[in-house]
Amino acid sequence: MATQTLSRPEQDRSVEQTLQQLRKLYADAPEFAKAALDSALPALMAQAAESRTSQSESAGRIGIRLGRVSELTVIAPFAPGGARRLRAILRLLHGNFSAGTKVGTLHNMRFVFLDNDTKFLFATAYDGQWDPYIEDFATKMPDEMDIIFSAFEGWPGIRSPKVKNWIVEHQVSAEGWYVAHPDLTVAETGRLKRIGEAVDEFLDKVGT
Amino acid sequence: MATQTLTKPKQDQSVEQKLQRLRELYADAPEIGQAALKNGLSMLTQELAAPGRALTAGRIGARQGKVSELTVFLPFVKGGAMRLRGFLQLLEGNFRAADAVGTVHDMRFVFVDNDTKLLFATAYDGDFDPYIEDFAAKIPNAMDLWLCNFEGYPGMRNPKAAADWIAKHQIAAEAWYVNSPNLTAAETRRLEKIGQAVEELLDKVG
Amino acid sequence: MSFVEEPVGEKLSAHAPTLDLDEIQAIVLRPRPAPYFGTHVLLRVDNAQAGRAFLRRLAPHIASSANWWNAPHTWLAVGLTYTGLEALGVPKESLQSFPEAFRQGMAARARQLGDEGVNNPKNWGKPYGTGQVHIGVSAFSDSEEKHQRALAIAREQYEGFSGVSALALQHFGAQPSDRNSLGYKDGIDQPPIEGSGVDPLPGQGRPIKAGEFILGYPGEAGVPLPMPQPDILGRNGIYVGYRKYQSRVGAFNRFLHANGSTEEERELIAAKLVGRWRSGAPLTLAPDVDNPALGADPKRNNDFNYANDPNGRQVPFGAHIRRMNPRDTQLSRLTDVNLHRLLRRGSTYGLPYDPNALSEADDEVPRGAIFLFMSAKAMATIEFLQQEWINDGDFIGAGNERDPIIGRQEEAATFTIPREPVRRRLHGIETFNVLKGGEYFFLPSLSALNWLGNLSG
Repeated sequence: MATQTLSRPEQDRSVEQTLQQLRKLYADAPEFAKAALDSALPALMAQAAESRTSQSESAGRIGIRLGRVSELTVIAPFAPGGARRLRAILRLLHGNFSAGTKVGTLHNMRFVFLDNDTKFLFATAYDGQWDPYIEDFATKMPDEMDIIFSAFEGWPGIRSPKVKNWIVEHQVSAEGWYVAHPDLTVAETGRLKRIGEAVDEFLDKVGT
Repeated sequence: MATQTLTKPKQDQSVEQKLQRLRELYADAPEIGQAALKNGLSMLTQELAAPGRALTAGRIGARQGKVSELTVFLPFVKGGAMRLRGFLQLLEGNFRAADAVGTVHDMRFVFVDNDTKLLFATAYDGDFDPYIEDFAAKIPNAMDLWLCNFEGYPGMRNPKAAADWIAKHQIAAEAWYVNSPNLTAAETRRLEKIGQAVEELLDKVG
Repeated sequence: MSFVEEPVGEKLSAHAPTLDLDEIQAIVLRPRPAPYFGTHVLLRVDNAQAGRAFLRRLAPHIASSANWWNAPHTWLAVGLTYTGLEALGVPKESLQSFPEAFRQGMAARARQLGDEGVNNPKNWGKPYGTGQVHIGVSAFSDSEEKHQRALAIAREQYEGFSGVSALALQHFGAQPSDRNSLGYKDGIDQPPIEGSGVDPLPGQGRPIKAGEFILGYPGEAGVPLPMPQPDILGRNGIYVGYRKYQSRVGAFNRFLHANGSTEEERELIAAKLVGRWRSGAPLTLAPDVDNPALGADPKRNNDFNYANDPNGRQVPFGAHIRRMNPRDTQLSRLTDVNLHRLLRRGSTYGLPYDPNALSEADDEVPRGAIFLFMSAKAMATIEFLQQEWINDGDFIGAGNERDPIIGRQEEAATFTIPREPVRRRLHGIETFNVLKGGEYFFLPSLSALNWLGNLSG
């Protein structure tokens, strides 16, 4: 979906149209929701018109992206014994993921155990497109990847040419994706933090 | 705001004991996993030796530094998936309403199980209950608009009931990593302004 | 200065080559001659039988890489696009075994390549991007006379025969002193290939697993990259991204003049944009002033790394050569730089660089470069480079900045030169090289060429 910019009258017309379509959609929704529609929607639409990066795009083969930040959501069945192994290793690591920092593009990632430890949800927010660096993981941190992902049914190994297909088979693209700062990458954030620190030091020195 | 560690701190376990535990655990892992553990043990040592960082986000959910995660699977009412999908498409991915709240880092809406459930996953500042109260206070209508599509949703007019309802469907992450755990959304906005001012200054003196 | 009989600078490896050199086309391993003259011929196949017969006639004239370090400096190369393979009647299962990006063709990959705005395929010159380019034949030589003879041989194989038509002939050649259309010596750094039979030149780094470049051999992860089927078609083949750029020399010179008031200042800026002085001398080894003798010496002109330049004060992070080969630069994204290398053959065309060209009309004078970027996964690599290292700066912490030489610049673009005490940020950098056409080709081995020429049905 390309970003379009509408003129003011075009925007108003478009808000009205959207409102109409939504009223139809919400025809059999609970009363309070219909009321909410009339109250909330104009404000939502006005904000949409202002925002440049309000429209999400594809993150590549699968997944969606807003500005520079993409989402990746994978749900996969555990291999036999996989849940036990993964839980133990995650607890032993105690939230320390040096691999996460090494990759350099991960904003956050979560590991969630589902359905009585039979399924697993992996969800991350990361910079850039879906597949450019997967081969790099295979040569730079193959063991970290395989220690964790071998917990899942059918994981072919990070070095396997089938690995991208495995991910695609288990990934679900989000249909809505919001990022507070869509143009702020991990690298850019690091740079801003350093600048912020330098400015604070400077201000300390000049005594303000 | 009480914060507890996710598991009993195993600082009494030495790194060597942890590595041994891992070897035992992976004894019946698939080939790939066993090989990877063998090759990767030395690299894991560093991580196993570091002090634990995992926290909780209050009632439920995991937290790193100041940033928490909320992960819920919400069951759709009949017709709810279609309405929500239509709603999301018409908004063209815009959720600038979340800007009004000011503490959301990201959030995603994923339709799963043949459109019978929605996976909603978000990263936000602070703890769970204050977070829901914030939404109820600032954008109750926007919340009602999308949450009305799920079974048993009581409405944001009763924020406590809404929070209870959400918590019922929430699954805490077993592990949660954040790149900049002490950087709140507000702090990020501050840094952006400073960064902009610095670039302008450097352009002038450069 | 033409090549002498011994390998220039390279020494024969202690290990015998492990690659099937007599299967691999000469263009893959023989270095570009100096000076160089040549032509790219773009052909359309009008019926499968005629196309196959053409390949059969051409095949004996396609040189291999046997003894490439000690071989004649004239050769012909041949490649096929996906639509070309289709036109030859290659069987369906075989066609489907080619990678998606190759099958779509370069024009259809505009989004992944960032070929938008001024580089949009709808702005390309014919016949690029029309799907009509089926076969490309390139002649390279080290003298105009030999070039004409090689070209004549190529032409004899299609002229006067029906069913194969020449759509375009793109002549190219080294400019005075072997400089490109912006006035720089180019093509210095190349990735060294393990098993090719010759040791790397100083600064090229350790040999990279052959399979990253030539199909059928193990790559860096220890396994061969996906290869088209059948085996005889794919093995020892290579993919080529062909990209033709028009150099906006006026804009380039205007930019130098806008930011440098003396010739010295302008030449320093010109060096900071690329990472080398015009002579080819790298900034790392000649930080303050050009050194033409260094630039001309292949044993020294590439022998450096960025270990002593962690802040980009010698070579800006965004400089062209530092982007195209970061070497040991600390990148912000976990990257194995050896997975993103390409063999490059630049072919400069048109009028030579003119330092006094300043007008907008000068931007339209036909001159520029046709690049051949080659590897076992050239499409994926070119698309990676375009997205990550050329049309973006996040991988080096440079935000939205783009490559100053081949980046497609947006409005109000900048180029940052790290400097003490305050960095210098140049504003208003424009697109200096505009993309005018391109194609993805597959260069088959000599056996594969025979297989294609002898297809039946």
